[in-house]
Amino acid sequence: MEIQTLQTDYAGRRWALFWLALKSSILTVLTLGFYRFWMKTRLRRFYWSAIRPGGVPLEYTGTGVEKLMGFLIAVVFMAFYIGIFNLLLMYVSFSLLNDNFAAYAMSFIGIIPIYFYAQYRARRYILARTRWRGLRFGIDPAAWAYAWRALLHWLGTILTLGILYPRQIFWLEKFRIDRTWFGRERFVQEGGWTTLLPAATHLYIGIGLSILAGVIGWFNPVGFALLGLSVPWLVIGLVHFKVQSFRILTANKRLGGAIRFHAAPRTGRVFGIYLLGNFIASMILWLGLMALVVGIVVFLAMFSQLDVFSEDFDALLDSGDAIVQFGLIGVLALLYFSVFVFWGVLNQVFVTMPLLRHYAETTSIANSHQLVLISQRPRDEFSEAEGFAEALDIGAAI
Amino acid sequence: MSMTDQPPLTPSFADYMDGETARVQRVQLEIIEHADRSVLRITLPDGGVPIDWPLADLRLIPDQADKKAAVLGQAGDNPARVVVSDTDLAARLTAVCPNLKRRHKDPNVLKRLAVLSAGAVASVALIIFVLVPVMADQLALMLPARGEKALGDTTFEQIRQALTENTEYGLPLCDAPDGLVALNKMLDRLNPGTDFPYEINLHVLDHEMVNAFALPGGHIVLFRGLLKDATSPEEVAGVLGHEMGHVDHRDPTRLALRSAGSVGVLGLLLGDFAGGAAVLFLTERLIQAQYSRGAEADSDTYAHALLGQVGLPTAPMGDFFLRLGGDNTDEDTSLLSHLASHPDLKGRAQAAVDADQVGEVYTPVLSVTEWRDLQNICDS
Repeated sequence: MEIQTLQTDYAGRRWALFWLALKSSILTVLTLGFYRFWMKTRLRRFYWSAIRPGGVPLEYTGTGVEKLMGFLIAVVFMAFYIGIFNLLLMYVSFSLLNDNFAAYAMSFIGIIPIYFYAQYRARRYILARTRWRGLRFGIDPAAWAYAWRALLHWLGTILTLGILYPRQIFWLEKFRIDRTWFGRERFVQEGGWTTLLPAATHLYIGIGLSILAGVIGWFNPVGFALLGLSVPWLVIGLVHFKVQSFRILTANKRLGGAIRFHAAPRTGRVFGIYLLGNFIASMILWLGLMALVVGIVVFLAMFSQLDVFSEDFDALLDSGDAIVQFGLIGVLALLYFSVFVFWGVLNQVFVTMPLLRHYAETTSIANSHQLVLISQRPRDEFSEAEGFAEALDIGAAI
Repeated sequence: MSMTDQPPLTPSFADYMDGETARVQRVQLEIIEHADRSVLRITLPDGGVPIDWPLADLRLIPDQADKKAAVLGQAGDNPARVVVSDTDLAARLTAVCPNLKRRHKDPNVLKRLAVLSAGAVASVALIIFVLVPVMADQLALMLPARGEKALGDTTFEQIRQALTENTEYGLPLCDAPDGLVALNKMLDRLNPGTDFPYEINLHVLDHEMVNAFALPGGHIVLFRGLLKDATSPEEVAGVLGHEMGHVDHRDPTRLALRSAGSVGVLGLLLGDFAGGAAVLFLTERLIQAQYSRGAEADSDTYAHALLGQVGLPTAPMGDFFLRLGGDNTDEDTSLLSHLASHPDLKGRAQAAVDADQVGEVYTPVLSVTEWRDLQNICDS
C-alpha cells in the first residue's frame, strides 16, 4: 500500500550551466589544470541542486581543497606503485621473455584492480558529501573487497563473451547498494540477476550476430558484412540494457522497511539525447573553430603586415626562427585547448544535463512518509577524498 | 545603530531541515534586528522554542541550479538548512546579511595544503630521482645479456619510428656497400680488448643531427650529420670509442630502465595513460643520452685508453668537441647546437688533447677513399 509518493523535479537551466562550465573550464586551463578540483565541485553543486525529489534539492558539500589534497596523497602512492612496478616489470619482462610486450600488458593489468578500488573510494567520497533533506548519505568502507569482486565479475563477463554481463551488473550493484546509507537507514538491493535478463535481449542478439559474423567471416570474408548489422544492434542493445537495468534495479531497491523507488527512463529518449546532443555539440564546435581560425588569419593579415598566402610566409614558418616557432606553438596550443574546453562544456550542456534531467524526472520515491523517521549519520572525514580516481582520471565528466 | 528605518517585515514561510532528521518543516521566518546581534528567527510549527540564526552567520549555498529559491545555512558544519522560495524575503535577507557569500575559510587549510604539496612534490621527486635510478642501476647489472639485447632492439626500432614521419619503416639505415666496408674496418681497428657480452652492432641513420648514441645490448648509432660534420675518420673513431665506453659501462641499460620507471610516473602526472608522450620522451632521452658528468668522463677515459691501445691519436676527438662547442653553426641549428654549447665540452676537449700519446704520426684509421665512402654511406 503506497501512502505518499514523491516525484522528482529538475530545476537546471542550460544557460546557467553553460556559463558555470565555461567559466570554470577556462580557469582550469589558465591554472594548468589545478582548478579542475574546484570545477568539478561547482558543477556537482549545480547538478545536485537541480535534482529535487519532492521539491527538496540534493546538496553536494564536497570542497575543491579537499579534492586537491586527496589527489596529492593519491599521486604519491601511485607514483611509488607505478614507478617501482613498471621498473620491475620491465626488468622481469626483458630478463625472462626478452620482450617488453609482457611488461606493457602487465603494467596495464596491474592498474585494473586499482581502478576498481578508486571507483569505490570515489563513490564513498561522493556519497559522504551528498545530503538531502539535511541528512548525509554514506557507504561502508569496502574498496578492496569491491575491487577483487569487480575483477572476477569482469573476468567472467569477458570469458563468456558478455553473456554474464547482467549478472555482473546486478551483483556489483547489490554489493554497493547493500552498504549504502541515507542517514541511519540502510538501502537494500532486492531481486536477482535473472530479473535483468529481459533487458538484455537485444544485447544478446547483438553479441550472437557479431559472433556469427566472425565465424562466417573466418571461412568467407563476405561474412564480415554482417558486422554492419550486428555492431549497431550491439551498441543499441547495450544502451537499452543500461537504461532498462537501471529501471529494474531501481524498482527492486528498498530504503529501510518500506520506502521504495520507481524509475521509468526510456531507451529511445536516452539514445536520442546522446545522438542529438553530440550532433549539436559538434556542430557548434566546428562553427566556433572555423570562426577562430578565420579570426587568427585575419588578425595576422591585418596587424602584422604578413601576407599569409605568400610563399614568404611558408618560408617563415619553415625558417626555424625561435619567435615564429613559439608563436606557432602558441596558436596550436590555443586551438587545442579551445577545442578541448568547448567540447567539455558543450557536452555538459547538451548531453550530461539532459540525461540527468530525464533520469531525475522519471524517478519517484514511494512511501516517502516514512522518511521523517530517519535520523542523521555522523560525518565521514575521509581525507583522501577521491584522489585515486582523480589520479586515474576516472569519471572525467562529473 | 538601533532599530533600522525599514518597514517591519510581515512573517514569511520557508522549508526548514534541522539536520538531525529527514523531516522537512514549514516554518515561519522573521528578521529580528538588535543593536548588537540581529537574527533570523525560525519558528517551528510544533510551537517549540524558536531557533535564532545570527544574520552575520548566515551563508548562501553557492552554485544552485534553481535561481528562484535561496538555500541558506550557517557558517561552520551545521547541516541544518532553510530553503527560501519567497523572493521578497530572499531580497531582504541579501540586503541585511553581511556575510551571505563569504566562503568558509579554515586558517589551517592553507598551511596543511602547503605541507601536503611540499610533501607530495618531495616524495615524487624522491621516487623519480633517487629510488627509481638506484633500483635501475642495480637491475641493469643483473639483467642477462639476451634481455639487454632485446631491450636495445626494441628501443632502436622505437627511435627509428620516432625520428621520422614514415611510420611504416622508420628512419632508413644507411647501407651503401663501400661505406659499410669502411665502417667495419674502423670497428675492427677499435675492436676492444674487453669482452663484451654481446657483439657491437654499429648503425648509421640517415638524419642530419650531429650526434651519436649507444643503446642497451651493444647497439651504437651514428647519424649522417656526424659523419658529414667530422673532418677526419679519427674524429669519428674517437666518438665511436666514447660510445663503446658507454656500452662497456652499461649506461644505456641503466638509462632505459630508469626511464621505464619514471616515464610511467610522468604519464600519471600528465594524465597520459596510453603513453604516447611517454614513449616519445623515452626515445628523446635515449637519443640525447644525458648521462651524468661522471659517466661521460668515464666513457671519455675509456675512449682515450682504447684509441691509445690501437695506435690512434685522441687529439682529433678534442677538436671535434671544440668545434661542436664553438660558434660553428654553418649547418646545424637544431636542438643539438644547444646541447653542444654545454660548457663541459671545452674541458672534455682539453682532456682529449692531454691524453694524446700518439701525436702526428700514425697509421690512419681509414684511407682517403674509404673515408669518402664512409661519409657517403647514406647515398645509395
